[in-house]
Amino acid sequence: MKLEEALHNNRYKIVDRWVQYTLETYKASQFFTREKDSFANPIGGTVRDSLRKIFSLLIKNQETANYKEPLSRLMHLRSVQEFTPSQAVAPLNAVKHITRDVLAADKATKLLIGELYDFEFSVDLAVLAAFDLYVECREKIYKIRVEEIRSGKELLTDGACPSKALKNITDIKR
Amino acid sequence: MAVAKLEQLSQSVAQDPSMATGAVPTNDWMDIPVVFKPGNYAYPAKKDKVEYLDSQKGLHFPNAREWSPEDDDWKLPENWKEIIIDGLGERLEKFRSLKIFMDCCVRCGACADKCHFYLGTGDPKNMPVLRAELLRSVYRNDFTLAGKILGKMAGGREMTVGVLKEWFMYSYQCTECRRCSVFCPYGIDTAEVTIMLRELLHLVGVGINWILEPVSNSNRTGNHMGLQPHTFKDNVDFLTEDIENLTGIKIEPTFNRKGAEILFITPSADVFAEPGLYTAMGYLILFEHIGIDYTWSTYSSEGGNFGLFTNNEAMKKLNAKMYAEAERLGVKFILGGECGHMWRVLHQYMDTMNGPADFLEVPTSPITGTVFDNAASTKMIHVSEFTADLIKHGKLNLDKSRNSHVKATYHDSCNTARAMGLMDEPRYILDHVVDWVEMPENTIREKTFCCGSGTGLNTDEIMELRMRSGLPRANAVKYVEEKHGVNLLSCVCAIDRATLTSLMDYWNPNVGVCGVTELVGNAIVLEGETRGELDEGLRTMVF
Ligand code: SF4
Ligand code: SF4
Repeated sequence: MKLEEALHNNRYKIVDRWVQYTLETYKASQFFTREKDSFANPIGGTVRDSLRKIFSLLIKNQETANYKEPLSRLMHLRSVQEFTPSQAVAPLNAVKHITRDVLAADKATKLLIGELYDFEFSVDLAVLAAFDLYVECREKIYKIRVEEIRSGKELLTDGACPSKALKNITDIKR
Repeated sequence: MAVAKLEQLSQSVAQDPSMATGAVPTNDWMDIPVVFKPGNYAYPAKKDKVEYLDSQKGLHFPNAREWSPEDDDWKLPENWKEIIIDGLGERLEKFRSLKIFMDCCVRCGACADKCHFYLGTGDPKNMPVLRAELLRSVYRNDFTLAGKILGKMAGGREMTVGVLKEWFMYSYQCTECRRCSVFCPYGIDTAEVTIMLRELLHLVGVGINWILEPVSNSNRTGNHMGLQPHTFKDNVDFLTEDIENLTGIKIEPTFNRKGAEILFITPSADVFAEPGLYTAMGYLILFEHIGIDYTWSTYSSEGGNFGLFTNNEAMKKLNAKMYAEAERLGVKFILGGECGHMWRVLHQYMDTMNGPADFLEVPTSPITGTVFDNAASTKMIHVSEFTADLIKHGKLNLDKSRNSHVKATYHDSCNTARAMGLMDEPRYILDHVVDWVEMPENTIREKTFCCGSGTGLNTDEIMELRMRSGLPRANAVKYVEEKHGVNLLSCVCAIDRATLTSLMDYWNPNVGVCGVTELVGNAIVLEGETRGELDEGLRTMVF
């Protein structure tokens, strides 16, 4: 069996464990794993959705640019939750370990572990990209805060017409 | 080998043991202390604001001081515990609902996963059942026989500084949105438990500035921002200039005019901040179009009532100015603008607090003759009810194509949807003025998700918290954005207009926020107008 085929065959198993692992970083994780409706369970839904997409890109050794959308969704989530920066990004790394585990557990795929270099390198690149996105999200938060404060300040001064002053504030650069 | 490494990785990720093992964590949650750090708490109220409020007739805001939640010592009064326990006892006597809510929860867990704070944080103490348990455990300990004898075994817990700190943390991670109560088989309203927790905390001087400053401003000048009458008027005048530039029609609203038929009151945010400004322009255009006899007030210049987020007395006092002003001006009834918690206060408390308003008449539309019997007692109707009735009677000249740059969706504000049942009127209006779609069924109407920043939590120092508690709402918006190309999130709440703007900037930056009346104002064809092509409707910049 080829590595690519093995990864493809095991994709559900790997992604499931990866999702489970990521959701366990939340204190009350049972509900997040159990509830499948992504509107009732947006953390679970977002994690499941983005990891599934990221994994399918990983096994195809895709360009990092393609990771941006699913990674960005995940980082939008984790950068406003109570994680340190490393905790926010770390679950991405887990897929390396999980993949090795899954392949090692089956005789037919055990020997393919030696060929995982390229796959793992892709994971490394994704982790680095995630860190950039994490910082981008943090900066966005500060910009939004500044925007709120700026509009607030104008309001507290009773002098110039605040609505006129507001017109001068340029949109948040996105 | 891989397994060992993975464990190491997970240790760096989740050092804390997972607390919850089911829908309702049963054991250790009581013993885990809260930790305050920048970003997870709102700034405490400034000393001078508390002093001012405490000096006001009928209000009680003691223990003004400088303090920080991060300090060990919160500088509580010496007898703080007695104050809290007595305060709880007094409220159990006074509010029957509180006593029932304390007694009748069966811990079924139906509410546990319905709170947007829990859904966005995964923190078990944000499950409504546990939020209520923070108070219930103390109630059991001090007010039930089982608790007095068995203490912790009966779920009782002694009131300590640690418990008080927990109350502060979690009563300010609840927006009193009442989503949980929709799912509770007993109708337990955790929002009311939060209201009580906050009231009790105020008894010992624990409150946040973002709430107490607007309360003190409202008490002083009549609106949250502390705008004085001339500034308030200038702002509305400025909006009429904008309207003239856009449509060629000069509108001349009146202020504090005695003998007007209708008094119009809206949240002050509508006249001073984007995107509420456009909604206020919508009101002005609508009233001009149908030619009603109405006036603004520069004294009762705030529909919102942050008193609701402090205590009963402050809410009552701030609310009283509406009727006082209506009586002074001699109007027939009051028309209210788009606001959330303003309507909660009006619909649920105003009549008993400050009514009956015998000097007013049952609201009757001067244009259609419709009698609004639903407001027979309060004498105050919502602009959406009023507008929907106008549309139904064909009284508005609407050109829907003027909103063709918009694909809208509609956010039910918690208070208008769950506290007053206003769900169909805004939808009826939207049908006539814009192309729009619904968000998924379990995120709208009575099951709507909060913006995440209500009840005075719309302050910037807790932005991350607001972004995570707003996730369930933003997630549903993202869905309709991706599926239907939605680019505007409409609502009938001023706080929403401000907070959803930040929420969208973070999660769905291509989606803007507007009030329903903005879309109405944009679609109205005014008599004699010289309006050109306005690519962005009332938001188009013309020079
Ligand atoms: S749904 Fe009602 S009875 Fe059930 S745990 Fe929640 S508050 Fe208690
Ligand atoms: S009222 Fe709303 S914010 Fe408060 S516990 Fe219930 S669902 Fe959560």
